Amino acid sequence: MFDLLLAGIENVLHLKYLVPLFLGTLVGLIGGALPGVTITMTIIIVLPFTFGLDPLQGLATMTGVYVGGSAGGAITAALIGIPGTPSAITTTFDGFPMTQKGQPGRAIWLGIWSSCFGGLLAGIFLIGATGPLAAIALEFGPWEYFSLFVFALSMVAGLTEGSLLKGLLAGVIGLAITIVGSDPIMSVPRFTLGTEFLRNGFPFLPVLIGIFAFAQLMTDIEKMKGSEHAAAPIKAPPLTVSHLSVLWEIFSRPFLLAWSTLVGILIGVLPAIGGSAATVMAYDQAKKFSKHPERFGKGNPEGIIASEASCNANVGGSLVTIMAFGIPGDAVTAVMLGAMTIHGIQSGPLFVSQHPQIAYGIYAAYLLAHPLMVLICAFGARLFLRVVTVPKSMLIPNVLVLCVIGAFALNNIMEDVVVLLLFGLVGYALVKARFPLAPLILGLILGDQIEVNLLRAIMSDANPWLFITRPISGFLLALSVASVLFALWQHRRQKGRTREVDQEPDF
Amino acid sequence: MTRDGIAGLICLALAIGMLVLTRGLPQSSFVPLGPDFYPRIVLVIMAVLSALLIASDLWQRRAGAALAAASAEPAAERRNYRLVGITFAVFAGYVILLPFVGYRVATFIFVAALQSAFDPPRGARRWAMVLISALASAAITFIVFQHYLSVLLPRGKWTDW
Repeated sequence: MFDLLLAGIENVLHLKYLVPLFLGTLVGLIGGALPGVTITMTIIIVLPFTFGLDPLQGLATMTGVYVGGSAGGAITAALIGIPGTPSAITTTFDGFPMTQKGQPGRAIWLGIWSSCFGGLLAGIFLIGATGPLAAIALEFGPWEYFSLFVFALSMVAGLTEGSLLKGLLAGVIGLAITIVGSDPIMSVPRFTLGTEFLRNGFPFLPVLIGIFAFAQLMTDIEKMKGSEHAAAPIKAPPLTVSHLSVLWEIFSRPFLLAWSTLVGILIGVLPAIGGSAATVMAYDQAKKFSKHPERFGKGNPEGIIASEASCNANVGGSLVTIMAFGIPGDAVTAVMLGAMTIHGIQSGPLFVSQHPQIAYGIYAAYLLAHPLMVLICAFGARLFLRVVTVPKSMLIPNVLVLCVIGAFALNNIMEDVVVLLLFGLVGYALVKARFPLAPLILGLILGDQIEVNLLRAIMSDANPWLFITRPISGFLLALSVASVLFALWQHRRQKGRTREVDQEPDF
Repeated sequence: MTRDGIAGLICLALAIGMLVLTRGLPQSSFVPLGPDFYPRIVLVIMAVLSALLIASDLWQRRAGAALAAASAEPAAERRNYRLVGITFAVFAGYVILLPFVGYRVATFIFVAALQSAFDPPRGARRWAMVLISALASAAITFIVFQHYLSVLLPRGKWTDW
């Protein structure tokens, strides 16, 4: 394993891979730092740039974006009190008060170094756990796969904020989109309205870009007030700090770093929960374990360490689930999985054994993205503050142009751009109806696999009870029911406390 | 009926409509499970969930009428739906134009039009800024994608450009 990892690192250190990884990390940091531009959005924007690259180049770029994006949110969170990404919200609690106390360098570097170490520790887990988990998954038959996908879908639908019913319905809408096109056994066209274009179903990428990009951009446009001129550039404060003292602050709290990393990894591995929950949970745990919980929210370094270490550890955990099972944990990983598919990589239990060069290349890219991120921040953190002042009136048209390129370039047909527009309207309508998008995307990604495994299971043995009587399958289905019941109980409990408000959708 | 009820109705109509369409799908005597087997499961679940959403909306409306009178909801932030409509319209225009005038011309027009909609330029200097940035967007993306990343971009039927 270590030989393969060393070979992977050696491979990615070649300029051919290092340059895309560097650029991906840089763009990820900028995207993560830009309030209103999420990691999902940044990955969607970067995706078309990777079409012409070989699979490892493309995936190294995407890994860089994912790692950089997760850390980038901390920059604006700590310096201007606005989280660049939703998962950086807890970094604002202590990062911004620290900046206000005149220690912006300490705030930002505590965040960056914690992200780096949290991410690297999660990297060890990623490399160590993917193989054994994939080996377990290899024992799965179609019954277990079907139940695993149903479990992932029910978890995502159940744990989304807002209505459980709408979460489940969103997941089923995602599944319904995948039934358009030829059936997997006889290739009989279904719901194609007689068009040749729809024989292969709706193209995945234009649907994904349409739903996510439009839903987010239109929500931003709604908030624009008539004329929006360029905001005055934010005067970046000096970020000089003694790195040794920052590192000492982190390493003098080894339990906090290890525990927050573990929380991030576990939340990342579980489908559905996502980065925001990881940081909130790690922050909450840090506060509970702290000798001075009253200092939290007032510029306590422990708050920043917990938040940022768990945030990047979450990335490592999510990659384990994608690479071992082929299941995305949340919206960001759903897009990452889509990116892997586009580069011809079928992730799942056979991925590591069948494509060791690419799998270990991804591990290497993940590990190297962290020091690169530190390096980029050392030179560019102040510059990012200038970038975030780019007016939305300039940013949005260009993002839409990149969406069109992303949709068109894969098959070079205009119908894909029409699908982009169609699903842009659908995505925006769903957001306005307060439907969560994560279950929809998961349904969209897993739909074909659910159908294939259901049919395989029934065609190999018509006994439907096997789904319940086979131990792993039965256990997963029981977990699915339990997750829905738990969500139902949780929603009922919350209902008494708060009324549904016009909340931001889960991008 | 609130937006939940309307969304439920639309989903229910779609599910029923697609369920009806599954009746016309051809069956095979060699394969026990037809092409309609899985779609029917999905669509029935979709119809049931949609019906539940409509029912829950109607139920909440009844229960919520008294509650709404007791606690007034805080005023929501004003949303600029006009701009959203304009954006969709300009984007639809871009999609229509692309195959006729090609990527470069269509992108220049699209970026300039949308920037002007978001931030109406006042004065020659602002207009020049809008046009230059639109030109730069079209040119830079074209050069980067077509020449460096080997990504083909749409050519215009009218302009062959």
